[in-house]
Amino acid sequence: MNSNSHESVFEAKGLKKEFDDGRVQALRGVDFRIESGEFVAIIGPSGCGKTTLLQMLGALDWPSCGILNYRGVSLPDIPDPSAYRANEIGFIFQAFHLLPTFTALENVQIPMFETDIPAAERESRAIELLKSVGLEHRLHHFPSKLSGGERQRVAIARSLANGPSVLLADEPTGNLDSENTKNILELIIRLRREKSMTLVLVTHDMNIAGMASRTIQMKDGLIVSDLATTPAAP
Amino acid sequence: MTFFTIIVRGLLRRPVRTGLTLVGISIGIAAVVALVGISRGFEQSWATGMKSRGTDIVVTNMGSTLTPKAFGIAVRDRIASLPNVVATCAIFVDLTSIEDSSMMVVSSREWGGFSWQNLKIVSGRMPTDAMEPAVVLGRTAAEVLKKKVGDLIQLEAKELSVVGIVDGGALVENGSVILSLPLFQEISGNEGKINVIDLRATPGMSEDNLKKLCVQINAVLPEARAMVAGEHLGSSQAYRFISAMSWGTSLLAVIVGVLGVMNTMLMTVFERKQEICILLAIGWKRARIIRMVLWESALLGLLGGIIGVIFGTAGVKLMEQLPSIRGMLEPDLSFGLMAVSVAIAIAVGVISGLYPAWRSSRLTPSFAMQG
Repeated sequence: MNSNSHESVFEAKGLKKEFDDGRVQALRGVDFRIESGEFVAIIGPSGCGKTTLLQMLGALDWPSCGILNYRGVSLPDIPDPSAYRANEIGFIFQAFHLLPTFTALENVQIPMFETDIPAAERESRAIELLKSVGLEHRLHHFPSKLSGGERQRVAIARSLANGPSVLLADEPTGNLDSENTKNILELIIRLRREKSMTLVLVTHDMNIAGMASRTIQMKDGLIVSDLATTPAAP
Repeated sequence: MTFFTIIVRGLLRRPVRTGLTLVGISIGIAAVVALVGISRGFEQSWATGMKSRGTDIVVTNMGSTLTPKAFGIAVRDRIASLPNVVATCAIFVDLTSIEDSSMMVVSSREWGGFSWQNLKIVSGRMPTDAMEPAVVLGRTAAEVLKKKVGDLIQLEAKELSVVGIVDGGALVENGSVILSLPLFQEISGNEGKINVIDLRATPGMSEDNLKKLCVQINAVLPEARAMVAGEHLGSSQAYRFISAMSWGTSLLAVIVGVLGVMNTMLMTVFERKQEICILLAIGWKRARIIRMVLWESALLGLLGGIIGVIFGTAGVKLMEQLPSIRGMLEPDLSFGLMAVSVAIAIAVGVISGLYPAWRSSRLTPSFAMQG
């Protein structure tokens, strides 16, 4: 699954997701294409289905019906979803989700266990990644000793551990103050540009969505608008 | 950082709980080491005692008690004439309380029989004739009874002189009060009765040939049973009961250990539910999660096993020093027993981790997006 610009990374047609035997419809028929290298913001109120959609893109959950392809391959049919998540996708969570008993350096190495990166290279690679997010002075600190902004930086470094072609970010600044929000967004956007990654960012903040090159607005499990935008500075 | 680092960190996450689990496993393994070691040591010390007496075959009738059933001394004449039987020595062995000691082996031997020959005088002398009211004490028995040459010893209703202290070359021998057979038969009211015949076969006979000789003896001797020396204790129902109790008690202790580890690992999986889901979300395979849980529980087992072996060995060594049983234990604390105990502990860990590992593999990575 190699990355090429101007090719469709994700393609969804009639994508639906139901829970509780159909009593809850999180996605009610969603169609979209996301091209390689795009920065797409998905916005909408709580419960509109944006996180569910992000889970589908990350192969964390499967659609109830409809088509969802990654680079032309049906995601529900991929033989090894773990390998897909390990090699193609970088996740950034709202609550950082660092492992508390591991240092920043160790947290960044954890995804590398599922790749063929030699053990000797893991540490040096993790150091480089932490340098790239400005945390070279916090390598051996545990998450409890880091500020919220620093934790999210570690989580961003972890998401890049295996060189993914797609970043999926779920409210990545939801737990941060305005200063850290600005810094983290700048960092994510810079890294996306440097590494030519596709970025899909879920948010309910219109200002953040304004930084994307395209905004998909959702409501009640449906896409109500899908607009190309001129990215604003963070 | 290696995968092993992740395993160790998982255990160090809750040090008190991990420590308590280790205590639980180690108690179980200590019980295995102590009980099985003592039980096997007891059997081995009898075998060593037989060898030190130069006995190839033991003819006895081990029933449901710790001492054999008595039979008439005339039985001995029926086997003495069999081919390949070089010598026999009639014995009456009993377990009885003597003065302050609650249980001593009293070994009365046919006067002039070969079973006296292995006894080496440490101090004093041997009795001068079959009816001299005298005993010799194994060196451990002398220590336990706090007797020296010249002291008197109360056996049944009779006072006998301690005329010698001997070294019999084995714990059972050294822990015995030894006297002539006719004297003990008279004291105990067992005239004409014996309960053991030590038998020496033609030198150089193989184990198989000794077993064939046992078959021949058993054919002419319905009252008792001949067995190659060292194996006879295993035919005792009482010994088998003790041995089964040792294993049974150990098994119970091990089961408690299993439940302890399983509880710990289940708690670990429940507590780390979101952490495991995050690992799945960032690309870890379910197989690696299962391996992580199983390695953690196996490591708990290994550590618990090692601590248990140390506790068990130390406990047995302490028991050996207790005044009431000093000199009566010769535990088999061999490397083999310790290796088996640690292997049991690791197996306990792995088995205990199976269900928690399966539970962890059922978690869905989408849970990582919550909270």
